[in-house]
This record gives sequence, C-alpha cells and structure tokens, in this order.
Amino acid sequence: MLEDALEKLKESALAALTHAATHAELEAIRVQTMGKKGDLTQILRGLGQMDESQRATFGAQANAFKESFANRLAERSEDLKQAELHQKLEKEWVDITLPGRPRSRGTLHPVTRAQNEIIAIFTAMGFPPASGPEVESDWHNFEALNIPPDHPAREMHDTFYLPPALDGRKRLLRTHTSPVQIRVMEGKQPPLRAIAPGKVFRCDSDLTHTPMFHQVEGFMVDEGVHFGQLKGLLATFLVRFFERELPVRFRPSFFPFTEPSAEVDMGCLFCDGQGCRVCKRTGWLEVLGCGLIHPNVLTNVGIDRERYSGFAFGMGVERLAMLKYGIHDIRALFDNDVRFLTRHA
Amino acid sequence: MKITLQWLRDHIDCDLDATTLGARLTMAGLELDALQRLDQGLDMVQVGRLETVDPHPNADRLTLCHVRIGESCLQIVCGAKNHRPGDKVAVARIGARLPNGMEIQLGQIRGVTSQGMLCSLKELGLATESEGVLILEPATPDGLSIAQALGRDDVVLELGITPNRGDCLGVRGVAREVAALTGKLLKPLEAITVPIEAPDAIAQVRLEDPEGCPRYAGRVIRGVKVGPSPAWLRNRLEVVGMRAINNVVDVTNYLLLDLNQPLHAFDLEKLQGAVVVRRAAEGEILRTLDGVERKLSPTMTVIADQERVLALAGIMGGEESGVTEATTDLFLEVAYFDPITTARTGRRLELVSESRHRFERGTDPEAISRVMERATRMILDVAGGLAGPVTLLDGGTWHAPAEIFYRPDRVNRLGGIDLTPERMNTLLSALGCQVLPISGEEPRFMVIPPSWRHDLKREEDLVEEIVRLHGYDQVPTTLPRVPAAPPVPDAQRLLAEQVREIFVGLGYQEAIDYAFVAPEIQSRFDAAVTPVRLLNPLSEEQSVLRTTLIAGLIETAQRNLNRGNMRLRLFEMGRVFLPRTEDGVLDEVERLACLLCGPVEEVSAHAAVRAVDFFDLKGDMEALFAALTGSMPELSVGGPAFLHPLRCAAIRGAGGRAIGWVGQLHPAEQAALDIRREIYLLELDLAALSGKGAKVTGEIVTSRFPGIQSDFTFLMPERTASGEVMAEVVAVNAALIRQARVVAIYTGTGVPEGWKSLTLSVLLQADDRTLTDVESKGVAERIIARVVERFGAALR
Repeated sequence: MLEDALEKLKESALAALTHAATHAELEAIRVQTMGKKGDLTQILRGLGQMDESQRATFGAQANAFKESFANRLAERSEDLKQAELHQKLEKEWVDITLPGRPRSRGTLHPVTRAQNEIIAIFTAMGFPPASGPEVESDWHNFEALNIPPDHPAREMHDTFYLPPALDGRKRLLRTHTSPVQIRVMEGKQPPLRAIAPGKVFRCDSDLTHTPMFHQVEGFMVDEGVHFGQLKGLLATFLVRFFERELPVRFRPSFFPFTEPSAEVDMGCLFCDGQGCRVCKRTGWLEVLGCGLIHPNVLTNVGIDRERYSGFAFGMGVERLAMLKYGIHDIRALFDNDVRFLTRHA
Repeated sequence: MKITLQWLRDHIDCDLDATTLGARLTMAGLELDALQRLDQGLDMVQVGRLETVDPHPNADRLTLCHVRIGESCLQIVCGAKNHRPGDKVAVARIGARLPNGMEIQLGQIRGVTSQGMLCSLKELGLATESEGVLILEPATPDGLSIAQALGRDDVVLELGITPNRGDCLGVRGVAREVAALTGKLLKPLEAITVPIEAPDAIAQVRLEDPEGCPRYAGRVIRGVKVGPSPAWLRNRLEVVGMRAINNVVDVTNYLLLDLNQPLHAFDLEKLQGAVVVRRAAEGEILRTLDGVERKLSPTMTVIADQERVLALAGIMGGEESGVTEATTDLFLEVAYFDPITTARTGRRLELVSESRHRFERGTDPEAISRVMERATRMILDVAGGLAGPVTLLDGGTWHAPAEIFYRPDRVNRLGGIDLTPERMNTLLSALGCQVLPISGEEPRFMVIPPSWRHDLKREEDLVEEIVRLHGYDQVPTTLPRVPAAPPVPDAQRLLAEQVREIFVGLGYQEAIDYAFVAPEIQSRFDAAVTPVRLLNPLSEEQSVLRTTLIAGLIETAQRNLNRGNMRLRLFEMGRVFLPRTEDGVLDEVERLACLLCGPVEEVSAHAAVRAVDFFDLKGDMEALFAALTGSMPELSVGGPAFLHPLRCAAIRGAGGRAIGWVGQLHPAEQAALDIRREIYLLELDLAALSGKGAKVTGEIVTSRFPGIQSDFTFLMPERTASGEVMAEVVAVNAALIRQARVVAIYTGTGVPEGWKSLTLSVLLQADDRTLTDVESKGVAERIIARVVERFGAALR
C-alpha cells in the first residue's frame, strides 16, 4: 500500500517538477512534496505500522525518492535560471554596427609632431634642447654669425625689422634659429652641444613660402670635431626621422657661419631617386644645411678656434613635416582648418 | 648663372657630356638648377639648297620644290612665298618632331608627294613670330644640321652660384672649377694689345673716391658704327637669356658673362669734360637706364662729368649718356668697384643688375687692363673705330689677398680625411693659388690666393676648397663622440609638452597662428597694450606683433566656421610680445589659449548633443591645473571687456596675481565679428602652470573608516555663489568634512522667482574612527545653521 502511494507520489511530483514554468511553481511543488506537512511526510506517517524488514526497504525507497526529487529540483531550477537569463539577454540586443559614442580626438599640429620627433632623435643622441628669443638683436642674428652689414648674404634673409630699442639697438624677428647657437655658446666653454627648435620669420610669402616657419638648429663644439662626424650624425638622423634607409649626399654650399658648408640632400621619397615632380626630376630632396662652425663665430663668442672645432646644422621643420606626412601646401599649415588638422594627426 | 657647353669649351677642352658635367659641378658646390638642350626638336632638320621652285600643278598658293641635301634630293610642297631657287633653307625631314610638337610625315598635298617641310623660325622654336621660311646665309653648306648652322648644337646649364663664389659668375670661372675637378688645364687667355690708332683721344679721368672705386680704367674709341651684332654674338647672348641690344653694348655684356667683368660704354659726345669718379652729393638725381629717377646720397659712388652724374658706379648707367645708334665715339669704362659700397647703394636704391650682382661679390681687380684690351679688340672687330690710349688709375686702396698659412694635418683633422700635402697643393694650384712650402717641423705651406677669390682668407677656407674638390662624398662617415650622460631636459619645453598632451587628451586640436596680426583685431582683443609694429610688414593684415593669442584663434575660428566646420576645440601655445612701458623692452611671454565653439560632441544616435558652455572650458582648465600643479587656481569675477560681463572670470595664481582669464565672447563682439555661435575662450600664462613645488608631497592618508554621505537641499537667492557656499560648509569642520559638492541646482516650479534650490552632497569621514550618529548629526546641524545664517537660505 505504502509502496504504491510512494510510487504514485514519485511519479506525480517528478512530473510536476518537469512541467513547472517558474521558480515559484518549483517552490510550491517542493513544499507540497517535501514540506513538513507535505505529501511525503503524510506517507511516512504510515511507516510505524510496517514490520521491521519492510521498513528498511521502504525507508531506502523513500530516501532514493528524496534524492531524485532534489536532483530533479536542482536541475529544473538551473534550467529555469538559464531560460530566464536567455530571456533577459534576448531583450538586451544592441546594434553593434551603430558607431560608438563619439569621443573628441585631440590632435597635435603636424609642425609640433615633426618638431617633437626631431628633438627626440637628437636628444637621444646627446643634444640637450635649448631656446632663444624670437625678437633678436642684429648681433645675434647676423654679426656674431659672421654676417656683417652690407654682406650679400643678408639678401638670403628677408628680414622683418622692428623699431629700434630705446637704447638705439636694432631689433628684428630672427630669420633663423642660428642665434640660439650664439646664445648657448656666449660666456661658456666647450664641450657644448644643443638642439634648438623655434619659430623664424622672413618677409617672403608665396606658394612655397610663409612669412613665419619653424627651424631646428643643432650644434656641437669640442676638441676633435670634424666633418665626417657631421655627415654621420645627419645621415643617421634622416634615416631615423623618415623611418627608412635612404641615400644621403652632402653638397658644397655657402653659409656665412660655417666653413666648409654643405647642403644635405636625401634620395627622393616619392620616386626612390628616379626623378619626379617633387624632387624637380633630380631624384634628390634638399632637406638640411650644415657645416663646420666658422672660426670667426667661435672667436666672436670667445672660444679658442685653434683648440676647438664644431659643427652646426639647421633644418626647416615644415619641409620635413610636409615630406613625412605628405602635405603639399605649406600655407595649409597655418590655416588651421580642423579637417586638415584631423587628417594629419 | 647660365653657361653653354660650347662657350665653356672656349676655355677648356671638356669632354664631359652636359649631364655628367652638371652632376660634377653640383657636387663641387655649383648647383645645376636646370639643363636645356638647344637642339631639342631639331634632330631631323638639315640645311638644304633649293634646286627648283615651281608652281604646284593643282594649287595656286602652293609651290613644288626640289631640295638638295647632300646626296639626296627631296620633293617638298611649300606654302611660303619668300623662297627662290638657290636659297639655303631649313628642311625638316620625315620623322622630325619639331619643338612645337609637329611631326613630319610623308604626305600627299593636293595629289603631290611631299617628303618634308621647309621651316620658318617660328616652327623651329627660335622666334615667337616669323614670316615665310627661314633663308640661311648662302655660304651655309647643305646637309649640315640646322642646330649647327644656327649655333644651337649646344646645351645651356643654369648654375646656382652661392654668394661667396662671385668668381664663378663668368664662364671662365666655371671653366676653372672644371679644370680643378678634372685635372684638365684651363686654356690660356690670348694676350691682346690693341694698337693705338687715335693717340690724341685721351680719356680724361679723375678718381676722387678711391674707397668706392679702387681701380678705374677709361679709353676713348672714335668712329665706331653702332648697329646690330653679328649672329654668333647675338646668339651667344640670347641662348643664356640676355637680350642683344647693339654691337657695342653686346660686347660689354659678352665680357661680363665670359670673364665676370662688367663694363660700361658711354657716348663720349654726351660727356662734358673729364670723367670724375666721386661720391654723389645729397639729393643729386640720376635717371638710370631703366627709366627710373633715382635720388642719390653721399654714401653712393657715381661716375660723373663736369656737369652731372652719368652713372651709378658698378650698378647702372644713366639714360642720357648711354650708347645709341647715333653714337660715334665711345668712352669705355673697366673698373673695380668696392663690393660693400656697391652692395649698400644697390640695396638702398633697390636696384638689381647683372653688374651690381658681380661687383658686390667681388670681381678681379688685376684683370682690368686685360679686359680693356679684349673689349677694345672686340668692339673694333664688330663696330670698327680707332682706339685711344688707356687711362688707368689706381686708388691704392685695393690690396692683393694676404697669404694664408695652412697645415695639411689640420685640414685632414677638420675634414675627417687623409690626403697627402701634395694632393692638397695640386687642388689649390688648380684654383689659381700659389703654394709655397714653409720650412719647419710640421709640414706647412704658404698660399697666395688668386686676385679673383675674395673668399679665401684663412686656413678653414682652404679646408673647404680641398675637401670640396676631393669630394664631400669621399669623406668617411662616423658619429660624433658624446658622453653617455643623458642631456638635462629643458623645463619650459617639458611643461609645454605636458600641456599639449593634456589638451590633446581632452580632445583639443592644436593650432599654430602667425605671430603678427592685423592691428584692428589685435586691439579688439588687447586694447590696453600698444603692440609693436613691424617696420616692413608684408601687409597690413600681418603688421603688428601679437600681444594675445586670442586674435589668431578667433581668426582661425572664423575661417573654420565659414567653411562649415561648426565644432571647434582649439588650443595654441606660443609667445606674445609685450612692450614694457617704462623702457620699451619687449618681453616674450609663453601663453596658452583655448577656444570652444559648437556642439560638445559630434552629433550621434546615442544622445541629444548640447552646445558647449562656460563649464566645459572651466572643467578642462581645472583638469589642466589638477594634472600639472595639483591645486586649483582661484577665480574672481571679472575679465577683459570683450567677454560676456557675467560669464567671465579672472584666473589668479599665487599671491592673487592675475595669470589669465576664462569666459564667453561678448555677444556684441560676436556679432561684430559676424560669428553666429557662442564662443568660449581662455588665455593663460604658461609659467603659471609650472607649479614649482605645488605638487602634493608627503604621505597621503586614505581613511580605513567608513564615511557618511549626506545631502542637503537649500533654498537661497539665485545669485548666491556656489563656490562660497561650498567653502563655507567645509569651514564648519575642516577636519571631518572631506568634500562638499554642489550636485543639483534647480529653478522653476516650486521655487520662488529669484531663488534657487541648491543641493549639496557632503562627505564626513574621520581618519581614526567610525563616526557616531551623534557626531554626524551635530555636524549636519551646524552646516544647516551656517548656510541659513550666512546666505539667507532655508532648508528644503
């Protein structure tokens, strides 16, 4: 009798678990079946009338039922959890093809980027950054650099002049960053090195010239400094800056503040030296000016020209930035159109 | 400087082709700028002799010609009218591709075969206009290439000559370079002495300005016939870009180009008495050859006669005394004018000429007599006449170049090379230097530079000559030796980099504007300071040095807005130029400026996008200060007048010093600038961010004990400053009140007009214990009492 009742309960309770659709229904079935006043308790009340041998067997049957009920309950509970989770997730669909929330992307000016890259390379090679004023004296910008008044070389520099200072001294906007060389050397003794970025100004404005642009000047004075070192330094710089192996050539030129002087050309980036519009069919791009510091310049800052020698070099940041980042119009650099700034960031 | 290969060959037997020659010169410092083949398109054009010229059987306007070219005879139909049998003509043969692009093919013209074309000068690319076919000199042999017949079998090399190498502004100077580079010898200049056939034609000269003119030679040539130059001379000048004028002037120009010696020929008849080389008197006037009236001053050397100024020495002749078709007697001048005086005069008068270009770079003072003889010979050859004796005056002011002592060891050391003294001396000798050994332990030499090399003054100059001729590319490459210690960073630069990094992180785009701006916009944004004006601005728009970065940023914003770029987040760092009122010294101050305009974010599907406001910019400024100085700057009401009066603040640094401002562009200014959107601006002295020692130092304690967050909502007058409320609350118990923030402000329904509801969130926390309810309640009560009392507020 009792066995039948247990068998029936087992069937109905397990079936009820299977059909339960919510956690609440599962709990109700558990209470109904296993609770203190539940169906199993009811059945087990009849246990007292059973004889010893039957009781053991029946007890084992009841325990087996308890276990299978608990297992099934856990199973169903897990099923329901999964189903609920699935339902929840199903509601949480997002359109992953929709663009993300826009974030403002800031940009460095291409000139700043190029300047930073140049400085980083030279700093790593042992040249500390230096700076000087943008309004300069005639002495620092010209005379100390071996460019006396009425020297034809002054015509290479279309100078912006300011009204003279109250003490009558000429003032001008520096036409190159070379005066920083003088300012670093003045009153000091070698070994001296520096790399000096900055704005420079020339009264010249057309398709390929802006009246303001940026240069980086570098120099070194020590015992035993020679032309071969200058060649090595600049060739290394160009390879690092343009991140590729390229031919570099040094061509004699003239700057009043260096002797010997050289222009540095590198193989054209756009045609690999085959000749194109950018390199004016020469296969070479002029990128730097350099030379051994003129002995008059060393004398002007009180450095012994017999004992020491030095080299100096200068480069146009815009030119390098334009070549590296593929910018075609120098004037766009100071137009600051945000589309341009975004594109060249 | 243009030269041609043939011209160069007058001076040296150079067998290099033009491209190779150009490359060699470039690598020696005479940069090849352009190379032009003069026979371009003339390959298949030859001289032919017209054997017959008959009417075309089928066309009235055409002729049928038979042309003999060496062995062959061609039948050619021609539409011109100026050709006769026996004429020498230019025949483009089948396969020719003329300079104008025309291709010559075997053709049928009105049923008759034509095997080429008779060319006009225009078709040969030698004239812009021409009539009829070109008829050549009768003596021209048929079969000759037209390029040869016309002197066009040549190549023009355009060289960039640096200012130190004035000696290469003549073909012979370039030839000397070629000699030094190739080891070939320069052809000696033929010594010429012209017989004096008019011994009474004395050139009367007084040299009164030996400073401006160290040497002067004059000569009279009588009875010349001025007219066109022979073809070869005209051709030489024209292919290098110089216009042929008349035979006398052409000879002077030819020698200027050939030997780098400018000359001037005066019409003797126009001269009154002796020629005087002197300084100009103040205010003297000369009408130069270019038709411009020049006002002269005593710094300028002039050539004058007894009456008036005739020419600007070494720069340009006067209009009145020049050689014309009517001239019969010449006064020919060959001189050495002082480079500095010439340069100064030329620059002051803004007068550029071939002559000035050469004199200011230094010509050869020793060449004067030689050039005079050569010029006379050429003039007599092309224009006839009888030469008088030369008057040569030496002012005693020019001194031969001083000797240079040089040490081959030092040349090797500076150059990073290893050449023998013999090799060095060979190179120097090829340039015209005299080299003499000096006895002593170390090898030393004395070098006497040639009179045409004004740039060779010291040992280093010889280093350049030797290394350059040896070849820069031959110098072994190495790296400089520097100590391993990393360079000390530049504090200013480091700070600038940090600021840039922060602003880029905050979504700003860096702008770089010109340092000079228009005075109007400058004064609009900094009326208090008088900016420094450039003496020679390029334009009014770029005429004063900026005293604020705002002018440039606003113009950048205007440009962008006009192009439809409506969302702007810009910053710039750079110097402004502030003149001190007391002594006029110009301070260069590093500034930072920002500009915000338009929607705070790009429009998207995710949320409605609002426009930027004051607090976007203030928040960014706070982030900047927090990152760099670890503390917040003080703000006080006020700011420049171009800002919205109630939406601006002065930023104050240590000691209450004003270091900048932040605010909205005044709506009236905005309208005046034709800007349709609100613009928020900030400008700050960069030095204020250097935060010397401002960074938090010492141990930072984070309490382990829980804090209590309580919110208080008050009603208070609308214009109560939140900052003061927060400060007042913290002051209640600075030890326990860790934070007091305004988290909500509300006006509108339920809040009386002129009042606001302000919610403060206050964090109470102790470092050493958990706060009790009693403690926290006590603090809360005091907070309420203090706010109510101080601000006339009521707790809601």
